[in-house]
Amino acid sequence: MSNPIKTVVIVGGGIAGWLTAGRLAAKHKAAEPNGVKVVLVESPNIAAIGVGEGTWPTMRNTLLALGVSETDFIRECDASFKQGAKFTKWVDGSDNDFYYHPLVLPQGFGKGDLAAHWLAKENDGSSSSFSNDVCFQEAICEQGLAPNRLETPEYADVANYAYHLDSGKFAVFLQKHCTNVLGVRHIIDNVTDINTGENGDIASVITLENGNVEGDLFVDCTGFSSLLLGKHYQVPFKSCSDVLFVDTALAVQVPYENVNQEIASHTISTGQEAGWIWDIGLQHRRGVGYVYSSKHSSEEQARALLAKYVGDKFDALTVRKIPIVSGHREKFWQNNCVAVGLSAGFLEPLEASALVLVELSAQMISEQLPQSRDIMDIVAKRFNETFLYRWEKIIDFLKLHYILSKRTDNAFWTDNRDPQSIPESLKESMALWQYRAPADNDFTSNNEVFPAASYQYILYGMGFKSDYSQTAYALDDVDFAQHHFTQNKKLIEKAISILPKNRELINKVIDFGFNRI
Amino acid sequence: MTHLVAVDNKNHLNTKIDLSKIEQHGADLHLVPVVLSEFIHLAVQYPIVLTKHGETGQFVFSAMLGFEKNENLFWQEEQWQGLYVPLQVRRQPFFIEAIEHQNNSEHDNNELVVCVNMESPALSNNTGEALFDINGQESTFFQEAKDLLAQLLTGEKENNLLLESLTLMGLIQPMSLDITFVDQSSTKLLGLYTIDQEKLTSLSKEQVLTLYQAGLLPSIYTMITSLGQVHALIDLKNKRLNYY
Repeated sequence: MSNPIKTVVIVGGGIAGWLTAGRLAAKHKAAEPNGVKVVLVESPNIAAIGVGEGTWPTMRNTLLALGVSETDFIRECDASFKQGAKFTKWVDGSDNDFYYHPLVLPQGFGKGDLAAHWLAKENDGSSSSFSNDVCFQEAICEQGLAPNRLETPEYADVANYAYHLDSGKFAVFLQKHCTNVLGVRHIIDNVTDINTGENGDIASVITLENGNVEGDLFVDCTGFSSLLLGKHYQVPFKSCSDVLFVDTALAVQVPYENVNQEIASHTISTGQEAGWIWDIGLQHRRGVGYVYSSKHSSEEQARALLAKYVGDKFDALTVRKIPIVSGHREKFWQNNCVAVGLSAGFLEPLEASALVLVELSAQMISEQLPQSRDIMDIVAKRFNETFLYRWEKIIDFLKLHYILSKRTDNAFWTDNRDPQSIPESLKESMALWQYRAPADNDFTSNNEVFPAASYQYILYGMGFKSDYSQTAYALDDVDFAQHHFTQNKKLIEKAISILPKNRELINKVIDFGFNRI
Repeated sequence: MTHLVAVDNKNHLNTKIDLSKIEQHGADLHLVPVVLSEFIHLAVQYPIVLTKHGETGQFVFSAMLGFEKNENLFWQEEQWQGLYVPLQVRRQPFFIEAIEHQNNSEHDNNELVVCVNMESPALSNNTGEALFDINGQESTFFQEAKDLLAQLLTGEKENNLLLESLTLMGLIQPMSLDITFVDQSSTKLLGLYTIDQEKLTSLSKEQVLTLYQAGLLPSIYTMITSLGQVHALIDLKNKRLNYY
C-alpha cells in the first residue's frame, strides 16, 4: 500500500485532544508495535478553557471504549450523575414554569404515537406535564434520586444517564490513562510553525524543543485559536450569532453549604431576562453560570442577576468571563488535518453539545481512519458532510428552545422569535409539526445527535400543540395508550421505591465502587 | 432488633441461652451469608450463590433458603428443618465487635470483643445454658459459641481470597431464574450470581494452578454442584403451597 497512515499527531491537550487520542490509541493499538502511533503535543503554557461540565449518555460508551473503570472516573473527576435537564422559567418566566428534557425515551416510543394521545389528554384536562406522563425520569429527578443503584453493574442503569464532571480533572484523568495504558506519546512543547508538503498536506509541526513532529494525519485540538484548520488552512468560520444570540458567559464555582447537601441529578437551566443560567451539581461544588446576549444586557446587570441566583455567597466567589462566539468552521477536515472540539466550533452549552460533538468526532475518526493517504479525501468529504449536518441540527434544536418561549420581559426573547432569525430547516419542521408529533423519519442521519423524542420533550414541554383533528384515527389505538400511561405510573412507583438519593449513591461509589457485573 | 452489649462475667453471670430458640433468628431469612469452610455441609441442601450486599454493593456468598423476602422454606413448625444450620444462624445471639482504643496512640489496633444481642429471644435468666459458672469461669457452652465466632472471622478472610480470585479471573456471572410453581404463580429471581462455567473451563494452566494451590478449586466446584439444590428448594415451596 502506498502512503500508509502510520502516525497520528494531535495538537492540543484538553478533553478534545485526549479523548481523540484515547479513541484512536484504543482502536488502533497504539501500545503495540504494529499499531498506529498516536502522539499528542501539548503546550505547557496554554490553559484549557475548562467549559463543558455536562455530557450526554454517549460518554458511558466512550469511557467503555477507552477501557476505564466507571468507579475510577467518578472518583477522580468529581463526577456525578445527570439525568437530563430541567428548564425553568423558559415559557412564561413564572415561578411554577418548568419542564424536563429527560434522557429516557417516552413510553412505547417508535411503537405508536403516544404524543397524539397525550395531546388529547391535554385537551380534556386529564394530563399532567408531557415528560411526567410519558416518562418516569422526571419523578426521579424531582425527588433527587440517582439513576441507578450500587448493585447495578458499572455503566448499566435503571434510568438512562450521563455525567456532570470537572473538565480540568477529566483532562488529567484521560491523559494518565492515554499515556500509561493506551500507549499515547505525550510531548509537552510549544508548536511554533508548520511544515507542509507539495500537495498542501501538513508534513510536521515544528516545536520549540522537540524539533519536527512528523505525522500522516494531524488533529487540531487547539481550542478557539484553531491553529491548524483556522490559522494555517484559513478555513472560514461560519457564525450563527444571527440565530443564537448569547455571546458572553459569566461563570462561578459555588461550594455546597455542607457535605450532605443534595446533589441534583439533572442540569438546571433557568431562563433570565437576556439568556439563561446553568446550574450543574458536582461532588464538591456546583458550577453556575449566566450565558447572555451582550446586546440585550449590560455586564453589570448580568452580574446582578447571577448574584441574585447564587445568593449571599456570591461576593466571595471569583467570576470568570468567557466570550462565546457561536458558530463553526465551514468544513472540519482539510487535506490531512481534522479539527475536534472548540477549534471546529462552539455553541452555547444549552444542551451539552460540546462534549458529545468531541465524542462523535473522535469516534468517527477512529472508526473511519483511512489506511492510506490515497483514500483520505473520501473520508474527509464524508466527515465534513456528517458534521455539517450535525452542527446545523444542533443549531436548530437549540433555537427551538427560544422560539417556543412566550416571555416578553426583554427584547432578547421577542427578538429570538423574529422569523428572520429562524433557520429555514427549523421553519419547515415546525410547519410539519403543526399537525403531528416529531418522528424518526423527520431526520435523515442514522446517528442523530438529538432524536425525535428530544424534539417532542421540548415542543410539548413548552406548550406547543400539534393539531390532530384531520387525523383523529391516530387516537384509535386506545389500548396502546392506556397501557403505556399506566405502565409509566408503575415505573415511577417502582423507581422511587428502589433508587437511592443521588448524593448517597455517589458517596457509596467513592467508598465501595461499582462491580463490573 | 439488635442491641449489642459486651459480654462479661459480672453483668452476664446469670445470663442463660435457650438453645431451642437460637434458630428463630433465621426464621425469616431467604438468604444467609455463609463462609467457605461450611460450603460442603451447605451443598447437601442449599444452593450457594453470590449476592450483592445492600449497603456496600460488594459480593457476598449466600445460601438460598427461599425465593422471596422473609421466606425461609426450611423454617417449619417453629423449627429449622434442614440437616445443617448455617454458622451465621448458629452463632446467635453472639457477635464480634471491634472496639477502638483512642487513648492508646501508639497502637491503633482494634480490640475484638464478644457481644451479646440483648434483644434476642434466646436470652433468658432461668432456662438454657449459662455463659459462666458461679465462679465467673466461662462455661463449655460459651467457649463453643466463641469457637463459632472465630470460624466466621477466619471464614471472612477465606471468602475474600476466593472472591478476589473469582473477580480477577472474571469467573462471576449473573444468573436469572424463571420459576413457575405448582399453583402457576411464577417468580423471576434477579440479583443472584454464580460461577461462569464456560470461563472456568477456558482458564489458562497458570490460572488453574493458582486456584489449585490456593485450595480454592473444591469451593468453586461445590458452588456449581449446589445449584442443583434449586430444584429441592422449588420442591419445598410447592409442598408448602399445596399444604396451605
